[in-house]
Amino acid sequence: MRWLFLLLGSVALAQAVATPGWVRLVPPVVKDTAAYLTLENRGKTPLRLVGAETEVAERVSFHQDHREHRGGQVVLGMRPLPYLDIPPGGRVEFRPGKYHLMLEGLKRPLKAGEKVALVLRFQDGSKLKVILPVEMR
Amino acid sequence: MKGKLLLPVLLVLALVGVAYLLLPKGTHAFYGTRLLNPKPVDFTLEGPQGPVRLAELSQGRVVLIFFGFTRCPDVCPTTMLALKRAYEKLSPKEQERVQVIFISVDPERDIPQISDQYAKGFHPSFLGLTGSPETIQEVARTFGVYYQKTQYRGPGEYLVDHTATTFVVKEGNLVLLFSPDKVEETEKVVGDLRALL
Repeated sequence: MRWLFLLLGSVALAQAVATPGWVRLVPPVVKDTAAYLTLENRGKTPLRLVGAETEVAERVSFHQDHREHRGGQVVLGMRPLPYLDIPPGGRVEFRPGKYHLMLEGLKRPLKAGEKVALVLRFQDGSKLKVILPVEMR
Repeated sequence: MKGKLLLPVLLVLALVGVAYLLLPKGTHAFYGTRLLNPKPVDFTLEGPQGPVRLAELSQGRVVLIFFGFTRCPDVCPTTMLALKRAYEKLSPKEQERVQVIFISVDPERDIPQISDQYAKGFHPSFLGLTGSPETIQEVARTFGVYYQKTQYRGPGEYLVDHTATTFVVKEGNLVLLFSPDKVEETEKVVGDLRALL
């Protein structure tokens, strides 16, 4: 019974809620890929995402797309972010063209349909495990 | 009074009718940005089986060119996947006359084999090309492509900003452009390609 309360307690306290997206299947020759998901802060205090880990890659970093216009055309790039803040009641969408979690240095080529576990770390010490499918999209 | 009005109205209607008949048949309103003056373009770059010349490749074909780099997990796959979707909507006969090319603006890291394996990872018929840094610079200038290393942390450790337009070449002429946003509209891209074929 006590365990149940503890369990319920931890659920109620969970500030961060992730809606899974996907890990992008890239050609096997490439050693970096992107992971997408939506992160919501259901708490009353700001949440700061400071890191992430996965067993399939050496390193996980956060990137924001960078867009500028040159010669009448769209120039795109990305910029690393040291952390990401999610205001209370707010959300951050990791999706193509916006933010992405970069899985750098894949230890092996991923397969379509496989599931990748990602652990997100927050400044308050809390962690969130997310399971994402590998898809070519 | 009635008669005075009738004549001008009939005249206007007749003019509209004539104008309609004068419209070229089968005009297609292009979704991509059409170049009013098609620009002659050419290059020779390294492919997996040796040099590839655009002038030869684009004879009787429509060539779609995207400049990027392989260590680009968000921007480049987004357009390459859009091109894959459009290409796969075409019939096998149409596909024979369409070639998608990926050109790496990161020749230091993307040797021809890597470029081509990357392109073929999206579709086996896609082609990946690269060349010496000088040649890439020249080709980029021809197409008005900007690219710049950024976030440099050391040799091999950097990102690249680059023009994310898809260039459409027919018979050696640059005829159409798709912005990274427009290229996502698969049906409209397919419509434009069919109009060019």
